[in-house]
Amino acid sequence: MIGNDVIDILQSRKESNWKRRGFKEKIYTLDEQLLIANATDPEMMVWTLWSMKEAAYKIYNRQSKIREFSPQKLVCAITSQNKYRITGYVICSGNRYYTHTILSSENIHTIAVSTFDHLSKVIEIENKLILKDKNGIPNLVVAPDCIQDVSISHHGRFEKVVTISLSPLN
Amino acid sequence: MNKEELISKLKLIIKPYTTNTEAYDNLTEETDFINDLNINSANLVDIVLDIEEAFDVVIDNTDMERMLDVKTAVEIIDTKLAQK
Repeated sequence: MIGNDVIDILQSRKESNWKRRGFKEKIYTLDEQLLIANATDPEMMVWTLWSMKEAAYKIYNRQSKIREFSPQKLVCAITSQNKYRITGYVICSGNRYYTHTILSSENIHTIAVSTFDHLSKVIEIENKLILKDKNGIPNLVVAPDCIQDVSISHHGRFEKVVTISLSPLN
Repeated sequence: MNKEELISKLKLIIKPYTTNTEAYDNLTEETDFINDLNINSANLVDIVLDIEEAFDVVIDNTDMERMLDVKTAVEIIDTKLAQK
């Protein structure tokens, strides 16, 4: 399964004040707050962790059909990072979702998958037929009677639609 | 504070975060913050913090979890006010 989340940095500066008193404490666990406090760029860390939680939540929501706003139940861990890429995972209700985040000066984009091997098989797609089910969960129509997981994220100037390519040709 | 007063106070809090003015103008108890009002999920935290300030209450994580629509928000605020 797949989830993704894109954050437009300029848009986030218009919409949110992450330095607001109480903001970080509502969203992040103590360990995550430490990651933010120790980061060379705390703003990027705030939104990286947020996009990890959002991307993972999309899988959790697809699996469980549970709809809730519980950012602290999505616990982030970072396994490797440099200026441009962060890999890690998010634990939620005993499930582990593997994440890969790409950072640029314009946006932060996280992809989450439930199977680690799928992380390298994620592709971006455009203009495909996508239908949402009664829970609002999107599916990509690949043939008249065949659908597969797809994740859509839109923020500010950016939209990302991603799916897992399982064909050996890709 | 009766329910109408509570909803109108809540409506003022929500206003800066909503991008769907039509849904906002026709707000009812059934209105969903994300699906109807197009509120960005990061701004749900701002709404919770604004509620805490405006009503002088504390919203814990278990309450915040459910705070996705007007009806639940009103219920939670009402319960918190009664505990004061």
